[in-house]
Amino acid sequence: MKLFAQYNRLNIFATVVIFLVGSCTFYVLLRYILIRQMDTSLQSEQQEIVQYVHLHHTLPEIINTREQRESFVIDTASKYTCEFFNSIEAGTGKEYRDIRFSIAVGADNYIIVVSKPMDSTQLLLKLIIGVTVVMIALILVAGIFINRRILNGLWKPFYETVNQVKDYNVTTQQAISLPVTQTDEFALLNQSLGVMIERVQNDYESLKRFTGHAAHEIQTPLAVIRTQLDMLMQQENLLQRYAPGISEIEQAVQRLSRLNQSLLLLTKVENRQFVLDEDVHIERIIADKCTELTEIMQVKHIALSLTVAPFTVHFHKHLAEIVVSNLINNAIRYNRPSGLVNIVLENGILSISNTSSLPFLDQDHVFQRFYRHADVKTEGNGLGLSIVKQICDFAGFRASYHYLDDMHIFMVDFNTRTSL
Amino acid sequence: MKVLIIEDEAALNKSMVDYLSSQQYLCESAIDYRSALDKIEQYAYDCIVLDLMLPGGNGMNLLKELKASNKMDGVIIISARNELQDKIDGLQEGADDYLTKPFHLSELSVRIAAIIRRKNMQGSNAISFEEITLDNAAKTVKVNNVEVLLTRKEYDLLLYFIVNKNRVISKNAMASHLWGDDMDMAENYDFIYAHIKNLRKKLLAAGAGDYLHSIYGMGYKFSVK
Repeated sequence: MKLFAQYNRLNIFATVVIFLVGSCTFYVLLRYILIRQMDTSLQSEQQEIVQYVHLHHTLPEIINTREQRESFVIDTASKYTCEFFNSIEAGTGKEYRDIRFSIAVGADNYIIVVSKPMDSTQLLLKLIIGVTVVMIALILVAGIFINRRILNGLWKPFYETVNQVKDYNVTTQQAISLPVTQTDEFALLNQSLGVMIERVQNDYESLKRFTGHAAHEIQTPLAVIRTQLDMLMQQENLLQRYAPGISEIEQAVQRLSRLNQSLLLLTKVENRQFVLDEDVHIERIIADKCTELTEIMQVKHIALSLTVAPFTVHFHKHLAEIVVSNLINNAIRYNRPSGLVNIVLENGILSISNTSSLPFLDQDHVFQRFYRHADVKTEGNGLGLSIVKQICDFAGFRASYHYLDDMHIFMVDFNTRTSL
Repeated sequence: MKVLIIEDEAALNKSMVDYLSSQQYLCESAIDYRSALDKIEQYAYDCIVLDLMLPGGNGMNLLKELKASNKMDGVIIISARNELQDKIDGLQEGADDYLTKPFHLSELSVRIAAIIRRKNMQGSNAISFEEITLDNAAKTVKVNNVEVLLTRKEYDLLLYFIVNKNRVISKNAMASHLWGDDMDMAENYDFIYAHIKNLRKKLLAAGAGDYLHSIYGMGYKFSVK
């Protein structure tokens, strides 16, 4: 529910309650005053009768009109000095105000009741109810109009800001242009947002610079080591003694360099430093990768079966290559000699399955960094699958692992776009 | 052949100069932006090896300078950043190649040779070593003027060896050259061995000398010796 609607609901509720209470009080007060007035006029009637009796020693003639009724009853038992009460006429249900008093005429004691109808108070009640209903209706209608006007006009800058923030993407580095507004609260909001966005942008930039620098700081010494090794191995007299050592160092440098590249890639994917704005033909990437790996599969006597239907997805070409290549590399690396690799791309679901000497893997851990099955001896850096997972999470694809009929199956569903 | 090495890491700069000098290149080096700019403005080089992050300025600006003054120098960028965008930017600014650190000196050398061949269009596209001649345009090999049929990988290997003649090349460097850095090394050694065996067999059968020497525990060397 909108803020203003909530406010309005409370406001109208309170107004209506106050109005009802006010109307009731008004009615009670007015009625009290009117009754007091009637009582005064009834009292003057009483005085007239008392004076008449005093002068003429007899009761006046009863003349009942719409305005006034009188009744004289002889009653020796009870005596009233002066008493007011309300009565309701039996047939019509009309309400009357009555005064009752006793008077002695000669030897008789009369009880005299004078009644006046309370028409005017009923009229008053009707009027007040009418006015109240009309007022409440007016408040509701005004509320709706004000609401509409405020949402369309006053809150406009707010919604513009919200839309801007919704479309904001830190990776694209576009400046955000928040609307200029006369309302203090929105101006404050925009100003704070501006400051926050600038800070986020700066943080993001420094993070990006950091990954760049980290690469430089690590890759450059590695380059020094590698080139020095290349120079060292030209000394053939040295080689005769140190060849295995130099070879080991060389391999370690390669592993370190690859590890560094993988970690940087992971960081960049996590920081969402890629813009997914390319149409990528998954089937072509698979075909290229398979051609590249034909040789290695031949040597390992691995049979490849390809069932690939063309599928194009809005993605990042380089990232798509990494996903496909990591999965296929794994399918070959952890395969057994004379094993199988099945690659299926159907309806945008890529499924790569392979035989392996490894038993089924832990579904919860298989995508974790540096996860290795205890039986694995080869030198994969343990980041391949977590990179796949990270890229899929970033792009909103679903990556999963299953084990079925002695086959390890890795699936990527390019249809689902859960995040983004 | 004049080559300018622009790299701020002294040890790296020196090893590049040493390796390339031993291959009949005339090498000069610059270790910061200022001195690099001076050298570029004053002299012409067949190839410039350019590091992007330099003290005093960005290597990319040097590229722009070169382009602005219409120099024909070939440029190979060596960068620690394995960023696609950097590669695209560099190549768009007129660089001829992009090599990510850490690289093998033999790889650098083969890339420089390729750039120089491409730049010297007036010269022939042929590279020769003793009785072996490679036509790089047609990707064909002749031994004593008789064509030898090689696979693409074998041709690549032979070119790589001849450009890096008389140098010891590790199996690791060869694997990186043929398959890129992503592959597992241990597994590739078997292929390398198979390819080299075939290459040697074909060359010997065509009447070439036995120039491929295996260096125990390390790799190979292509030399007359």
